[in-house]
Amino acid sequence: MIEVSDLRYRYGDVDVLDGVTLSIPDGQYCLLVGPNGSGKTTLVRHLNALLTPDAGTVTVDGTDVTDDPVVARTRIGMVFQHPRDQFVAATVAADVAFGPENLGLDRVEIDRRVDTALDAVDLGDAAESRIDALSGGEQARVAIAGALAMEPDYLVLDEPLVGLDWPARQSVLDHLDALAADGTGVIVVTHDLRDLHERADRLVALHEGQVVLDAPPAEALDTLPDLGIRDPRC
Amino acid sequence: MLSYRPGSTVAHRLDPRSKLLFQFGFAIAAVAHPTLPWLVGTTAFALCALAAARLSPLAVLRSYRIVLAVLALAPFVAGVAPGPPWFRVDPALRSALHVGRILPVLLVSAAYLTSTPVRDTRAAVQRLIPGKPGQILGIGMALVVRLFPLVLADVREVRDAIHARGGEARPLRDRVRLLAVRSLERTLDRSDRLSVALRARCFAWNPTLPPLAFDRRDYPVLAVGIALAVSPLVSV
Amino acid sequence: MATEQSVDLVDDETVGLFTKAVLLAALTAGLAQLSIPIGPVVFSLQPFGMFFAGLLLGPLWGGVALLLYLLVGIAGAPVFSNGTAGIGYVIAGKTGGFLVGFLVGAVVAGAIAHRGIAPKPVADLSVPVQVVALTAAVAVVYAIGIPWMAVVTGLPFARAAALMAPYIPLDLLKLGIAIAIVQGGYLAGR
Repeated sequence: MIEVSDLRYRYGDVDVLDGVTLSIPDGQYCLLVGPNGSGKTTLVRHLNALLTPDAGTVTVDGTDVTDDPVVARTRIGMVFQHPRDQFVAATVAADVAFGPENLGLDRVEIDRRVDTALDAVDLGDAAESRIDALSGGEQARVAIAGALAMEPDYLVLDEPLVGLDWPARQSVLDHLDALAADGTGVIVVTHDLRDLHERADRLVALHEGQVVLDAPPAEALDTLPDLGIRDPRC
Repeated sequence: MLSYRPGSTVAHRLDPRSKLLFQFGFAIAAVAHPTLPWLVGTTAFALCALAAARLSPLAVLRSYRIVLAVLALAPFVAGVAPGPPWFRVDPALRSALHVGRILPVLLVSAAYLTSTPVRDTRAAVQRLIPGKPGQILGIGMALVVRLFPLVLADVREVRDAIHARGGEARPLRDRVRLLAVRSLERTLDRSDRLSVALRARCFAWNPTLPPLAFDRRDYPVLAVGIALAVSPLVSV
Repeated sequence: MATEQSVDLVDDETVGLFTKAVLLAALTAGLAQLSIPIGPVVFSLQPFGMFFAGLLLGPLWGGVALLLYLLVGIAGAPVFSNGTAGIGYVIAGKTGGFLVGFLVGAVVAGAIAHRGIAPKPVADLSVPVQVVALTAAVAVVYAIGIPWMAVVTGLPFARAAALMAPYIPLDLLKLGIAIAIVQGGYLAGR
């Protein structure tokens, strides 16, 4: 269980997060939506202590994430926009191994995790491929595998679908469905709900640093245009 | 250009640490004495190293042709005299011997880089240098190799964009300033994104080190490398 | 998991300096592949790597940036001019000694500009300090590069110096451009 309590964060003169309270149970598939500048990215970067709040707390199973960032970052895997800038190695397997190596695991365990993570995104055959030679959709899946190799309970994806063509988009989403079905919590940050709203359990909308909507996606869709989000059915 | 080629030659099977030390030892030995017999000896030695990597000397010469062409000019520059006889042979020969010393070093470094993937050199650096400096330089090398093609593409894109907007007509100073600023901005944006990604993946001082195995065949190579490194101390 | 207790995370500030050093090493490599021919001499953009490394990162991390550049080149990545690589090029390339000069130059520029290991914001550096720092860096590059060239080629020192002299005004022009970039506020907040 991730619990966010009255989270506040200022950047310059702007209240980017203005008292966000939210709890996300294990295994939930949650969409976090909002227009640009609504605080989505800032919010998720607090979940694994990449940012430190000005006030309020984030806990994972009762532990404050700022007290133990290693546990927070292991339990909450994060995939960012621009996958090309988050790879640390030139080849797929070497990149996916980076997280487990940082945890100091032994080579046998690292290899096992890399194999498992690559299988989960159907890239088992691409282990030795050069990342730059892969398509955008495959690169997004390598980035997901890099997070999965930490064996997280939650996977947070910040705009993972930007720039992907339709088949690549479907493929990434199908893999997320499979992970969610296996019990991994999935949190997708996006301003584009196409193909997503039918897959998720819950939709949380942010506006000017506050939660303005929190409902199952089917019930939330009619309200979205008022919040500056396109209704994915149109 | 020469780059790593997968293979199973003697050179490929050596540990990168022994190859690195050999390479440095050889470079020290090769430049130590600008004399003809020494040059013949080091060149013969370098050809053996090329053979161990199954690399053709001609391929190496071709790939370093620009470097070699510039070096080949040196004896002429050295020989030119401001007055009669206008060209003096002695300084030209002296320069030729100096420049000649470099050839075997180029050959050996070519043998190294065609038989050693960059990640092996990175692993060697991370294991040879203890503690935080080794970690910074090891991971840093992997990241630079990973990011260099992206940054190069950025720089070329910026250059092309300046051209496309008629930048040719602007003074050199303005063109260079624009190119440097735009490239630097993109580079620093990538740095910001990379640092967040590294932190999210628990970038640590004490990770599991990349695997490397020192084998029996590495010891003679290491011994020769050390012997070469100290060879300048022995008078010939 | 027991292993996770001992993970020694790199602190946030160090990660930021480290990734800047990595990207400046990559930028130095990228700029080394572009050059603008002006008559017989070539206008190389490589020195900007050294200038920015020293000004933005200080002596330690600026030095790390240039050291990483040299190391990946020695390891075989085609990062030196014209896509070359290898220790042989660092020793013998026409810019060989200059490559090592760039490393020392970045450290010297960083030390003069920041007078300590931790870099200050670039906006806090006064123009005279920047001019002194970068001029010293250029001087160091030639102080290392010219004797190095003389040793490698067997040329008398004076002749090696005469060969390199046409490049000095170009490097001073680059120095001016680098300072204009900083003064233009393009690097504010970096």
